[in-house]
Amino acid sequence: MDEPRRPVCFDFEIAMTNLRITRSTFPIVGGIVLISAVSMPLGQKPSSTGAQVYQEQCAKCHGAKGDGGKGYSLPLRGKLSIAELGAFIKKSMPPGAKHCLSPDADKVASYIHGAFYSPVAQERNRPPGISMSRLTVRQFRNAIADLVGGYHPATPAIKAEGLRGQYFKGQNFNGNERLLDRVDRQVAFDFGSAGPIPEKFDPFKFSIFWDGSLLAPDSGEYEIVLKSNQSTRLWFDGAPLPHIDGWVKSINDPSRSVVVNLIGGRAYPIRIDFSKSTTGVDDAAKNKGKKPSTSAISLMWRRPNHALENVPTNCLFSQWSPPIFVVETPFPPDDRSIGFERGNTVSKAWDEATTGAALETARYVANNLTMLSGVAEEDPKRREKVMAYCHAFVEHAFGRPLLPEVEALYVTKQFDPSISIEGAVKRVVVLAIKSPRFLYRGSATGADDAYVAAANLSFGLWDTLPSPEQIHAVEAGKLSTREEIESQAEKMSEDPRAWTKLREFLLRWLKVDEVPDIVKNPKSFPDFDAAAVSDLRTSFELFLERTAWSEKSDYRELMLSQETFMNGRLAKIYGATLPTDSDFVALPPEASRAGVLTQPYLLSRFAYLDTSSPIHRGVLILRNLLGRNLQPPPSAFAPLAPSLHPSWTTRERVTVQTKPAACIGCHGQINPLGFTLERFDAIGRVRDLENGKPVDSSGSYVTRAGKTIKFANVNELANYIANSDEAQSAFIEKLFHHLVKQPVLAYGPNTLATLQSSFAENRYSIRKLMAKIVAMTATKRQAGVR
Amino acid sequence: MNRTRREFLRDVGVSAAVFPFVANLPSLASHAGRVKKQRLVVIFSPDGIVPKTFWPDATGASFEFKQILKPLQPFKNRTLVLRGVSDRVRGDGDNHMRGIGCLLTGSELYPGNVQGGSDTPAGWASGISIDQEIKNYLQKSAVTRTRFGSLEFGVMVPEHADTWTRMCYSGPNKPIAPIDDPHQMFGKLYGQLKDQETLKSVLDDLREDLGRVRAVIGSADRKLLDEHTTLVREMEQEILAARTTDVGHAVPMVEPKVRRINDNIPTLSKLQIDLLVSSFVADSSRVATLQYTNSVGQARMTWLGIQEGQHDLSHEPDSNATAQDKLTKINEWYCSQLAYLAQRLASTQESDGSGSLLDNTLIVWTNELGQGNSHTLEDIPFVLVGNGLGFSMGRSLNYGHLPHNRLLLSIAQGFGHRIDKFGNPDFCGAGGLPDLT
Repeated sequence: MDEPRRPVCFDFEIAMTNLRITRSTFPIVGGIVLISAVSMPLGQKPSSTGAQVYQEQCAKCHGAKGDGGKGYSLPLRGKLSIAELGAFIKKSMPPGAKHCLSPDADKVASYIHGAFYSPVAQERNRPPGISMSRLTVRQFRNAIADLVGGYHPATPAIKAEGLRGQYFKGQNFNGNERLLDRVDRQVAFDFGSAGPIPEKFDPFKFSIFWDGSLLAPDSGEYEIVLKSNQSTRLWFDGAPLPHIDGWVKSINDPSRSVVVNLIGGRAYPIRIDFSKSTTGVDDAAKNKGKKPSTSAISLMWRRPNHALENVPTNCLFSQWSPPIFVVETPFPPDDRSIGFERGNTVSKAWDEATTGAALETARYVANNLTMLSGVAEEDPKRREKVMAYCHAFVEHAFGRPLLPEVEALYVTKQFDPSISIEGAVKRVVVLAIKSPRFLYRGSATGADDAYVAAANLSFGLWDTLPSPEQIHAVEAGKLSTREEIESQAEKMSEDPRAWTKLREFLLRWLKVDEVPDIVKNPKSFPDFDAAAVSDLRTSFELFLERTAWSEKSDYRELMLSQETFMNGRLAKIYGATLPTDSDFVALPPEASRAGVLTQPYLLSRFAYLDTSSPIHRGVLILRNLLGRNLQPPPSAFAPLAPSLHPSWTTRERVTVQTKPAACIGCHGQINPLGFTLERFDAIGRVRDLENGKPVDSSGSYVTRAGKTIKFANVNELANYIANSDEAQSAFIEKLFHHLVKQPVLAYGPNTLATLQSSFAENRYSIRKLMAKIVAMTATKRQAGVR
Repeated sequence: MNRTRREFLRDVGVSAAVFPFVANLPSLASHAGRVKKQRLVVIFSPDGIVPKTFWPDATGASFEFKQILKPLQPFKNRTLVLRGVSDRVRGDGDNHMRGIGCLLTGSELYPGNVQGGSDTPAGWASGISIDQEIKNYLQKSAVTRTRFGSLEFGVMVPEHADTWTRMCYSGPNKPIAPIDDPHQMFGKLYGQLKDQETLKSVLDDLREDLGRVRAVIGSADRKLLDEHTTLVREMEQEILAARTTDVGHAVPMVEPKVRRINDNIPTLSKLQIDLLVSSFVADSSRVATLQYTNSVGQARMTWLGIQEGQHDLSHEPDSNATAQDKLTKINEWYCSQLAYLAQRLASTQESDGSGSLLDNTLIVWTNELGQGNSHTLEDIPFVLVGNGLGFSMGRSLNYGHLPHNRLLLSIAQGFGHRIDKFGNPDFCGAGGLPDLT
C-alpha cells in the first residue's frame, strides 16, 4: 500500500521523537529564583550592560555565574520568561526597600536568562556528555568483515564497466580454444540459434565465463537470478561450491536464484559459467542435420527497493575482489529514537546476537584457518604461528597494541596446551568479539589518545575498524597533531566507503531508505509499473551520486541542479526524447526542476495514488531540510477524497481541510512549503494545469527568527534551502549525527557554528564537511571537551 | 557437501545460539503421546547386483541367503527380500540416470541437457522422492516432528551435481545434495553443542575483563557496562541451566580430518552410520538416506583386494567369472554395512522403553539397476530390514513384474500416510504391493 494513503497527519512516531528531543535538550528546572539578602545602591550606571549590572549588584550573593554564593546558595535556574524575570526583579530585587528599576532590571533579566538561567542556557553551559557507545549493527557487520577478511579496498580501483567475458569454442573453457576476451557491460544476451559471433562459433557447442566483482550498493537481501535455457553456474563470494548450480538443465527450468545478505558499498567476487551443449557423453554425431537450439542468458537481481532487473553496468567490475565474510546472525535494530542510529543501549536480544555472531565468526575462522592465517597445516611451528595470527586478530579488533595483561588473557591463556589449535582459535575469536574492547570501539579503554582518534575517524567516515596500517601509523606517531588528523580525515573522505556512508545518510535524510511500494493509479499513469518505479529509484540514486559525490560535492548543487536521469522506459513516461532501449543518461537541465526536491522519485514517493501530497512534501521540507520540529497531530485524519470536489485543485482541497485552528498551527508552516511543489503531479511530471485550472506553486516560510520569506515557485525555495544558514545548519547537524552518533551539543555550543563557517569556506563541499566533522571530534581533547 | 556456507549456517541455526540442545533432546511429544516411533532408512549402492549370488532360490519363509546377503544372517527373521519389483518409469535419460532419478521418485526425468551413454538427454526428476514425501508427512504433526525431519548421508559422492549423483528430491527439479563429509554432518548435528563449550570456556575471562574495563571508564559510562555485564551473567546462567539436562546420549567421536578418498570408504561409512544412529537416538530425524557413491559409481574396493572400479567391472559379461566374483564381494561389502547399521539399531534401546531402534525402523537397501551388464531396470533389488512398518518379515517374495511405485506407496502407507498414488500414477495400479503385511 502506498504510504501516503495513511492519515494526513502522519509520522506520529517521528513527531514524538522530536518531542523527546525537546524534553531532553531542555530539561525542566523548577524552583524559586532570585532572592537576595543584601541591599545595594541602585541604578548607578544607567548605561551599563545587563552583565555589568549583574556583576556589580547580584554576583556577590548569587555567584558570578549564578551558581549561588554566600548570600544565597541555590543556583539561579528556572523557566520564567525574560519579561517575567524582569517583573520579578523590579518587585523584589535586591531585597530591601529599594529595588532595581527599569531598564536595568530588564537588562539583568535578559542577561541572566541568556547566560545561565533559562533551560537553553543551561543546556549550552552544561552540554550532554559524549557517552560510551557500542558498535551499531552496521558497524559491527563491517568491522567483522574487515577483521576476518583482511582489510581490502571496498571496491576495485577501476571504473565499473561490466564483467570480463571469455568465450570458448568447446564446452570446458579450454584456454586453447578461447575466441573472445572482452568486457561485457551486462550479462544479458540472446544468441538465438547461433554462436556469439556466428562465423566463429559452433552453434551447437560453446562456453563462456564471466568474472569480476559485483557491487552491492545498499545493505540488505539480494536475490541474484540466473536466467538461461542452457547450463549455467554462479560462483559467488569465494564459496567453494556454486551458489547456483544449473549445470543440469531440465527444459522447464528457465531460471534459478539465490538470496544473499550483503553489506552495502562493497564488491563481491562473482563468476558465471555458461555452456551451450549437452554435458555427459559426447553426442556431437547426433547433431548432424539438426537445427541448433537457441541460447540466452541474463544475470539479474532484485536488490533492496528495486524490482527484478538486469544487474546494471555500474555495479559490475571486470576485476576480482577478495571474498567478504558477512555475518548472517540477525540483530535487533539500533536505537533511532532521536533521529539517528546509535549504540546507546544494550539489550538481551543484542547480547544474544553478538554471541551468535561471535560463534558464527569463530566457526568460519577455524574452518578456514589455513587460508586466513597463511599457516600450512603441516607447518612444524603451526601453533606459534597461529598464535601470532590470533595476536594480530585481537590487536586489529581492539584497534591498539595489546597490553601484556590483555595479551595474556585474550591470546596466551586461550592457547592452553590441552586444547586443539582450532579450539583455541575459536576461543580467541569469541572472546575478542564479545569483549567490551571491541564492542565499544576503543572507548572502553578510558583513553583519549591517537588510537581512539584513529577509531573515531574510521568509524566516523567508514563505519568500520581502523585498518592494521592505520594502527601502525599511530604507533609510529603519525596521528598526533590536529593537522595530521585533518589530513587523514580528508584522505579517507575520498574513499568509496565514505560515499557509502554519505549515501546512506542522504537516503535516510530524504526518507527513502525504507520505502513502501510506490503504487499509482494505472488508469491515470498506465506505464508507471513496478519496473518504472525501480528505474526511477535508479535515476534518483544517480542524481545523488552525480551531485553529492562529484568532484565538488557541492551541497548547493544537490539543492539546485536541474538535471534528471532517464532511460528509455522513463523517457516514455516523462515525455523525454530517448530511444526506447536507452540506458540511463542525464537529460539537459530543465528550468522547472530545482535540485533533489524536484526529483521525480521523491515527488512520487510523497504523493497519493492519483494526486500530489503537499502535506507530505511540506513535512519533508520543514522537518528534514529545514530541521524544524513538529508536534504530532491532535488526531488522525483521512485526506479529503478528490472525488468529493472534482473541480478543486489539490491546493484548494488541502487548504480547506487544514483550516481548523487545531491544524493551522503546524499546517500554516507545512502547506506553504509543500505548495511550492505543486508544479509536479503524483509521479513528478511537470504540469501547468490541474483540473483545468492553472497551478499555483507559490509558497512561504516563517524562519526561526520570525521573518516571513515568500517563494514564487520551487526554484526560489530551493535557492533558500541552498543558501540559508538555517537549512545549512540543519543539514550539518543531521550529517554530524549520522557520522559521529553522539549529540552535536556534546562537543560544545559552538560546534555547529564552527562547522558552518568551515562549510562556507570550503565552498559547501559535503565531502570536506564530513572530513571536518570527523576530524574535530576525533578525540575529546581535539573537540575541546573536558 | 554441495552447500554454501550460508545454507550450512542456516541449518545449524546460529540465531538460537543460547538454547541449542532443546531440539536435540528426545521429542517431548513422543513421551507424552506414546505413539510408536517409526523411522525409515534408504541405503543406495550402485551398478546392479549379481543375480545368482543375490536372489534366494526359494520364496516364502524358508529360504537361504546366498553369498551377497550372508551378512544379514543374524537378522534373517527381520528381513524381507523383494524380487520382481521393477522400475517401469521410462522417458528421457539412460538407465543409470533413470535408475537413480526415478528410484525414489517414481517419476520421469524431465528432458534436459545431460547426455548419457544411450537414449535422449535428460534433466532432473519431475517429482518428489518418497523419503521427502514421508518427511513432509511426519513434519506436519507435532507428535512426529523432529529437528531436521530427514538427513541425507552420503559416502564418497562425487563433487558435482548431476542426474547420476542425486537420488533425493524435495520436489520437481529440486535435487538434494547428500552430505558425505562426516565432519559436516557432525557440525549439523552437534555444532551448537560445541559452540556452547567454546562459549562457556571463555565466559570467566570475559567477565574478568569487563571488570577491568569498568575500573578505567568514567562513572557515567558504567551504567551501560553494568547492564552489559548483567546480560553476560544471564547468558552464563542459561548455559549452566541447559547443561543440567544432558544431550541424552553419548556424542559420537568424529576423528579429525578423515579425508574423502576412495581408500577411506570403510571409515567414512562407519562414521556416517554411527552419526545416523545418533541422530535417531537424539530423535532429531526419523528419515535418513545413505547413498554410497553414485549411479555409475566407481568405488575401488582395494580393502577387499579389488583394484578395478565397480562400474567398469559391472559391464563385464556373466561369463567373466572373476569379474562376477568381485562384484559379488563388492555387493557383499555393501550388505555388511547394512548389517552393521541393523546391528547398531538392534542393540540400541529406545529411550521410552518401546524396544530397540530396529523394532521401530525399516531399512531399505536398493540400487539403480537390476544388473550392471544388461542395465536392466527389472528386478531392482529391494532388501528390507527391521520392524518399523509392520511388514511381515523373515520372507523372500517374488512379485514377477510389478512397478516399484507400488512399493513406494506401501512404505508411505506404512507410516500412516494415506496416499494411493505416488510418482507416475500409471504405475500405482491397485495401490501398495500385496502381501507385505
